Order: sequence, then structure tokens, then C-alpha cells
Amino acid sequence: MSSELSISGFSADVESHIARFLFERAQPLLLEFDKSWQLVNLQGDTARFGFDLDDARTAAGQLQDLFLGMPLDETIDLPFVQMPNGRSAHVHLLVIDRGYQVLLLDAQGEHDRQQSQQQSGNEAVLIGHQKTKAINQLRQIRSELESQRARLQEANALKNALIATLSHDFRTPLTSIFGYLHLLEEEPDNSAGTRHALRALRRNSNYLFTLAENLLEYARADTRSSLLAPVRLDLSALVADLLGLFKPMAAEKALTFSIALDKADSEEPLLDELRLRQVLVNLISNAVRYTQKGGVGVQLLWKDGALKIEVRDTGIGIAEEFREKVFIAFNRVGQAAGSGAGLGLSIVKRLVRQMHGTLELHSKVGEGSCFRIVLPGLAKLVPEADADAVEAAPSRIERMHTVLIVDDGPDITHLLEVLLSGMGYRVRIVGDATSAVESALADPPDVLLVDVELPGLSGNTAVFRLRAKGYRGHIVTLSATPTEEARKVALNAGANQYITKPIDIEQLARTMQRAVASS
Amino acid sequence: MTPQARKICMLGDFGVGKTSLVARFVRNTFSDAYLTTVGVKVDSKEVALANGQAQKLVVWDIAGRSALDALNMSYLRGASGLLLVADGTRESTLRTAIDLLMQSRSLLPDAQAVLLVNKLDLVERWEVAPSTLVELRHTLPVLETSARAGDGVEQAFAELAGRLQA
Ligand SMILES: Nc1nc2c(ncn2[C@@H]2O[C@H](COP(=O)(O)OP(=O)(O)OP(=O)(O)O)[C@@H](O)[C@H]2O)c(=O)[nH]1
Ligand SMILES: [Mg+2]
Repeated sequence: MSSELSISGFSADVESHIARFLFERAQPLLLEFDKSWQLVNLQGDTARFGFDLDDARTAAGQLQDLFLGMPLDETIDLPFVQMPNGRSAHVHLLVIDRGYQVLLLDAQGEHDRQQSQQQSGNEAVLIGHQKTKAINQLRQIRSELESQRARLQEANALKNALIATLSHDFRTPLTSIFGYLHLLEEEPDNSAGTRHALRALRRNSNYLFTLAENLLEYARADTRSSLLAPVRLDLSALVADLLGLFKPMAAEKALTFSIALDKADSEEPLLDELRLRQVLVNLISNAVRYTQKGGVGVQLLWKDGALKIEVRDTGIGIAEEFREKVFIAFNRVGQAAGSGAGLGLSIVKRLVRQMHGTLELHSKVGEGSCFRIVLPGLAKLVPEADADAVEAAPSRIERMHTVLIVDDGPDITHLLEVLLSGMGYRVRIVGDATSAVESALADPPDVLLVDVELPGLSGNTAVFRLRAKGYRGHIVTLSATPTEEARKVALNAGANQYITKPIDIEQLARTMQRAVASS
Repeated sequence: MTPQARKICMLGDFGVGKTSLVARFVRNTFSDAYLTTVGVKVDSKEVALANGQAQKLVVWDIAGRSALDALNMSYLRGASGLLLVADGTRESTLRTAIDLLMQSRSLLPDAQAVLLVNKLDLVERWEVAPSTLVELRHTLPVLETSARAGDGVEQAFAELAGRLQA
């Protein structure tokens, strides 16, 4: 190489060094073609790029293809071209007078470096894309599930609300039915036929009442807080209530019916009254319904801080294989046996569990069944607004006590008026919360009996306003909602007692006695 | 007599299946493994035209890029046709294919172009909507292909070859 060809300005020595170095690296192959692409000369490592030089025409054709469509009047550079054997080369076309020179410089090393970089970059993007897609899919699935769940929850809430309103709607007319039934039963000169009819009415109303209670309890399952509401329980009064409810039913089927009460502990038990009542009503009404001959015996034993309950019948019995199933809501066994909604035992089981109790079932097909329940007495959780007002002995009413009834239903108010007048009270009636507040402040009654469900402002509002104005009289709140929450709300508003519809006459009487005793 | 050979270029984003389509077309092979192309690989094959003649296609399989740089431009010189390739499972590659077509126009104003939307065998994972393809067909021929299964590959090359005659 002569110095006039210098392209770098470096000394000839340096240039020749660089040239040698690059030359070794590039392992050049130079192919020379004439103007019609016939191979005329060849220099360098011929085997390097896999050209079959015995078949010079093919090799020439392959190289010629690289320049297809390009004007062949100037130098052409094509970097990184894959050769027949897979090696990468930089391809240069040099135009000379005689034809063309094709210079191939090895680029495999460079190619490999670039490829590994490009490969990992591309793969990262592809994986990122897949990941994003998968995440979006999951997200979509989740949002679909969520909206589905929301729809289900809504449907469930609607269902519960529907059942709750239904049960509520049951209660109000039942109150009036029970009340008037009571009045009719008290008539001294009823004929045998009338008494029979009244018993049938009472039996069916009881049944309807139990059904409504169970429906409501079932609907409440998801929403109701499992907080217990312990109250000092008058077991004798409870027994009296149950006898009143079921004795006529049993008598009609010629069944014996007895409730034995044994209070070994002197102190009255502290239990969740609403729940306990519901357990007993369900068990006893089942027993009476499925027993055709013999009888039903109930034992209540309050001992060592626990209430032991036994309900025994001589009915159809429950076969071994159905023992578990009878406790499942709407089970087929229950329905096959001809019961109502098939809810009773499932609710009993749930209530017993909520009260931290145990439940056992012993049964023999054709001989009868025996349910045994043990309920531990509860620790006193909430202060009882009326605990210190308990008055056991029904004292004679010395003077005319006044009762202010706040209720908007004419049937109920009329019934209450008849009942309370019968018990010797002087009765005043108003129909809404505002009049209640005015009337109670203007002329305080001995007892204020206020319905929660009033048009406009609720009964609780009336109670709260009265207490806020310093009203100190005894207040009994009446409601169709037998929940602890409802009870708590009423007591928090300032009521002394909370009773639920349908009104139990005996309970009303006791409540009124307590109320006047404390006022 | 056989018409003159024509140079066509595979253009498209990386990983859309350009190399796979050429492998299917030229050698009737396919591999699931992905080995990215660096630079260019040139292959050739004859296709039968509708008029019964054979057309030699020199196919340039170029490394995937989302934009044309000087290097790519140097590969495009002399091309009569472009096979734009997109991956149906990645909508973005369809936009890239169209971008590349527009960029190539400055160098190759008269080149014929056919758009291939590849990976038809994965159609249930496609992001590209059918309606999009309907729209695109107003501007250029669009073929759905699968290098993996072979669907549409032969037709795609034949379609472009046919257009090179006109
Ligand atoms: N399922 C399926 N996979 C395909 C198809 N075509 C290509 N692939 C796969 O897609 C990946 C990329 O294919 P290539 O042909 O290397 O893609 P390319 O466009 O040449 O990529 P670059 O060289 O990086 O630009 C490989 O894993 C192929 O196996 C197809 O039709 N169906
Ligand atoms: Mg490739």
C-alpha cells in the first residue's frame, strides 16, 4: 500500500497495522464478476460463507439477487446479510470498469452480540404484553365476578327485605286476631260449638304466627347480629304462656300435654328470651303436629347455671338417615312429613348455636322423638332498663291508672282500648308522634304505650323527644320487629320496656303491672 | 419465457412471524422457537401466476422494527413489493405495519403492498377486530395467515406476485 492512498492521516505504519488487524477480523472474500455476472476472479477463504464454487453459476446468482432492482452504478453496502451457510456478512458491491466486485466481510461476531441483545429486548416486550393481557383478563374476570356478586347481594337483600315486610305484615293482623280471640274466649256463655270454633281459630293463628316468625328469623340469618340479648327470665311465666298456646291444640287431638318446671337454682336465669321462646315454640309445635296418639311432655330444668330443656313426644319419629337432614332448611324430609315451610328445626339449631347451647336428638321410628337442649345461662351483657322494676306479685290496682296509647291502626288501638279498659286503666289515644309528645307533656299518663311504626316520625322519635324534654314517666314501646337491634334502639331512645306484636295478652298485663308499679 | 425476478421485502414489527412466513413459504417448515433476525436473510422461490407463468420472488426477510431507519432503508432499495406483516394477537403491530408502509413510500412510491395479519391459529386471542380489517381492505389487500398451520401463506405470496405483473 502506498502513502498517496492514505485515508486516515495516520502514518503508513499505523495504517498498515490497522489494515492487517481488520483484515484478519473480516476474513474478506472478494468475488469479481464481469458485466454479465460471470465469475472471473476470486480471492480469499472460499469455504467461509458456504458458496459452492464448483457451481459458480448458482453462487453468482445468489449474490446477484442481493442487488436485484438496484441501480448498479455506484457502491452498495448491505450490512448483516445471512449467507448460504448461515453466517452473517457485510456485503459491499464495488463497481469497476470490467464489471463488479463483491466484497464479503465476516460479521458473525457482531451479529451474535447484536442478536442476543435484540432477543432479550424483544422477549421482554412480548412477555410484558402477555402479562398485561393476563392481568387485564383477570381484572375483567374479577370485575365480572364482583358485579355478579353485587347483583346476588342485591337480590338477596331484596329477598330478605321482602320476607321481612311479609312477616311484619303478618304480625299486625295477627295481633288483632289474638286480641279479639282472647276477648271471645273470655265470654262466659259460649256454646260448645263456639268454643270448638275458637280453638280451631287459635290453633291456626298460632300456626300462622310460628310460620311468620320462622320466615323472619330465616331472612334475618345473614343480617342479624349474633349478639345475644340476655334478660332475667321469669320461667313460670314462660311456662304459663306455652301452656296457653299449646294445651288447647293438644287437647283437640286428645294428646296429653305437660310442662314440668324445676328451678333448682334460686336465681332467675339470664337468657335471651326471644330466642328461647322461638326454640320452644318450634319444638313443641312440631311435636304436637307430628303426634297422633299419646302425648307431648316438656321438661325445663334450671340448674347449675344452665337451662336443660327436653321435649319428648310419642309421634312418628325420625329415621336414623334423616337425623342430620331435618336440621337443614327446606329439606325434603321435613316437607314429606307434611310440615309448613320446613324451617322450624333449622332455626332451632341455629338459635341454640347462637346461645352457645347444645342440641341432641334421640328418636325411634314409630315410637317418638326426644330433643334435648342445654343452654348455659348468659352473663349480663346489657343493662336491663326494667330489671329493677320487676314486680312479681300482681297487685291490685288501687286507683285508675292512665295509659296513653300512641298507634295509628284503628284495629289495634281499639283492641288495646278494650283490653286495657278491661284491666281497669283509663285509656287515651293519639295517632302520631307529635301529638304523643304534646299530649304526654300536657297531661303525663302513668304509662305511655307507643307503637314504633307510626306515620311520619317514628315512635322512637317521640320517646326520644319526650326524654329530651325531661319526661320521666314509664314508657313501653310496642313494635312488630322482634330483633335485638330494634329493642336496643327503642331502649336507647328512652323506653323502659320493649314488647313485640302480636300482643300477648298475659305479657301485656304483666308489662302494665310492672309499669304502674315503677311509676 | 420466465418473467424477470422481483424483489419483495417482509416488513413488520419484531416477532410478528416474518421469518416464519418465509420459512413456511420457501421450505414449508415452522418452528415454535423465536430467534430474532439481525440484518437480513434473502431467499428466493418461484410462484405460479394466474396466467400460468412462473414468477421468481427474491424475498428479503428483514429484522423487525417499529420504524424504518437508514439501515432498513438500504435493504428496501430495489424492492417491487412489500409484504407487511402484523400479529393478530398484538393490535399495536398492525399500527406498526401501516406506519412502516407510509414510511417506505418515500423510497418506494410504486411498490405493491399486501398486508398479512399472521397467527390466525391463535384467533381466539386476537386483539385485532374484524371490523378493523374490513376498513383496511378499502386501502390495500389484507390476508389472514398462519405460518404455523400454513393457512393463507401461499396465497399471500401469490397475491403479491400477481400484483407485481400489473
Ligand atoms: N402460533 C403461531 N406462532 C407463530 C406464527 N408465526 C410465527 N409464530 C411464532 O412467533 C414467534 C416469532 O416468529 P418469527 O417468525 O421469528 O418473527 P419475526 O417477525 O421474524 O421476528 P423478528 O425477526 O424479531 O422481527 C416465533 O416463536 C414463532 O414460532 C403463527 O402463524 N402462529
Ligand atoms: Mg425474523
